[in-house]
Amino acid sequence: MTTPNDLPLQDLVHHDKVHRSVYTDPHIFDLEMERIFGRAWIYVGHESQIPEPGDYHEALLGQQSVLMVRASDGRVHVLFNRCPHKGAKLATLPCGKLGKVIRCPFHGWNFAHDGRLASVPVRKGYEGTAFDESDPDFSIRRVPRTGSYRGFVFASLAEDGPDLETFLGGIRTSLDNFCDRAPDGEVEVAGGVFRVWQNSNWKIFLENLNDTSHPMVTHESAINAARDGHSDAEGGMPFRLHIIAGNGEPYVFWDELEMVAFDRGHSYMGAIFTPPKDPVSLAHIAALEAVHGPEKTREILSVQRHNSVIYPSCSPHSSFQQLRVIRPVAVDRTLVEIYTFRLKGAPPEVFQRAVVYANVVNSPSSNVMPDDIEVYARCQEGLKGDGGDWVSLHRDAGRDRFEDGRYVANGLSELPMRNQYRAWARYMSGEDA
Amino acid sequence: MGAGAQNGQGGLPDIRSIERFLYREARLLDERRWSEWLALFAEDGVYWAPLTHDQPDWIDHASLFHEDALMRQVRARRLEEKRAWSQQPPTHTARIVGNVHFDEEARWPGPGPGQGPEPRIVVRSTFHVMEWRHDTKRLLGGFYTYHLLPEGESFRIALKRVDLIDREGAHEMLEVFL
Ligand SMILES: [Fe+2]
Repeated sequence: MTTPNDLPLQDLVHHDKVHRSVYTDPHIFDLEMERIFGRAWIYVGHESQIPEPGDYHEALLGQQSVLMVRASDGRVHVLFNRCPHKGAKLATLPCGKLGKVIRCPFHGWNFAHDGRLASVPVRKGYEGTAFDESDPDFSIRRVPRTGSYRGFVFASLAEDGPDLETFLGGIRTSLDNFCDRAPDGEVEVAGGVFRVWQNSNWKIFLENLNDTSHPMVTHESAINAARDGHSDAEGGMPFRLHIIAGNGEPYVFWDELEMVAFDRGHSYMGAIFTPPKDPVSLAHIAALEAVHGPEKTREILSVQRHNSVIYPSCSPHSSFQQLRVIRPVAVDRTLVEIYTFRLKGAPPEVFQRAVVYANVVNSPSSNVMPDDIEVYARCQEGLKGDGGDWVSLHRDAGRDRFEDGRYVANGLSELPMRNQYRAWARYMSGEDA
Repeated sequence: MGAGAQNGQGGLPDIRSIERFLYREARLLDERRWSEWLALFAEDGVYWAPLTHDQPDWIDHASLFHEDALMRQVRARRLEEKRAWSQQPPTHTARIVGNVHFDEEARWPGPGPGQGPEPRIVVRSTFHVMEWRHDTKRLLGGFYTYHLLPEGESFRIALKRVDLIDREGAHEMLEVFL
């Protein structure tokens, strides 16, 4: 038997298979937090969640609790959620208001929205000591790098590395299309956030996002239930059933989908539920045409993507305005946050359809998701055993094509998984993927 | 006089007839008798579990559950599918429904959330659901609010609203009806 720690890191990942320990070894998980989540640009939140000065949103950056804060000058800061005095967490809600200053609930040290120490009570007690307001050790520590791409805020715990746009590379087009679908060119978080536990390693979920050979198998129960008696309903299948039943398309359908990957682990797959020419879609088209005219509108809506992967922390779904955020908590436990966005300037029905999509697909009560979560947990359990050391990534291996700065393959290819492990291996060896 | 008849205080039905109805509903759910449970609803009845504490509606906000007759039927149907992998083994529940009382606004003039012009009786209760599946047991709790339409000896559900106390928290899957 091979014990995971006997193998050097570079031997755990081959181009067409990975060692099971990458999913199960807590030591490797700790290294991932340091070398991947400690270096890459990680999604924090969206600027629309903190519209007013003093508003904050809490997020997990790897294992670090951080606060995204709007300052009085409109700038966005990402701060470690820790008072420099005794270490208390400064805020505990997912979203909230800090007021004019960030006030520690323990001894009343006050900080500006950028983290700088503003005041301490009974200042004279510190006279003649090593306490120094201008010493950053007495201010809330700022995350080394913060960046925003069209309102999506990312942060990096590393002092250096590629800038955010370089990091995103070709997957920027998914965020662009996400926003371009709004007649005003901007989106905002609305309608609440789902937070769902997965009892499995974070990479299992990331791999699943572009896994086209699982839906018809994993989701058989939901597909059957949605199809039963409703396939030829008047006016076609209702939207909320259509997005369930679509999982049951035949293999040839999936194999014809676009499958595209970029450096640093990013990828996307073509849309599987193309919005029909129903009244909601027509109203959306009309709103876009009023701003852009028919040609540009066609161009925007011709980009039809299912899940995109922005490795390693989030997955936008641009066609239905969803963003899933991956927060690894332990080697076998992952929190997924699911946000719905409103397209600014679009008719209300477009947002209401995104809410229906969220309820049907991404809610903890979804009829689709429980079978995903179940098979992820079965992998996590199964991989602990000695039934084998390797996980296969062989589907269409060796046939990925590199064209115009991107990797392309047939829709059923496991290209996105191989691509994620290529990035994984580079990060884990200390490079910037 | 029928159970749903107006023989209670203030022209409202006897609270005992309401309790009988709610206890039967609880039993149908705990015994996974989905088709009988589905039949308790009015045709346009709604099953709703809000996601936040002050959520005004289910139109412009995501919900933990928001199901009309069609979606309730899909859920019931999926739970009994041979290859519903996450129902191997199935979810078992035992629930306690207590504190059954007419809401302060015991009559909803309608039309209200859940459509329909008929006047409804608004009933509140507190619940605990003990749930077990595979190797995990968990306790869910909160409040039920019903909009009931008197019908002969019994009632039809125009709205069943489930307010989980931890609705804003992070959740494991919610597979069966609460
Ligand atoms: Fe799936």
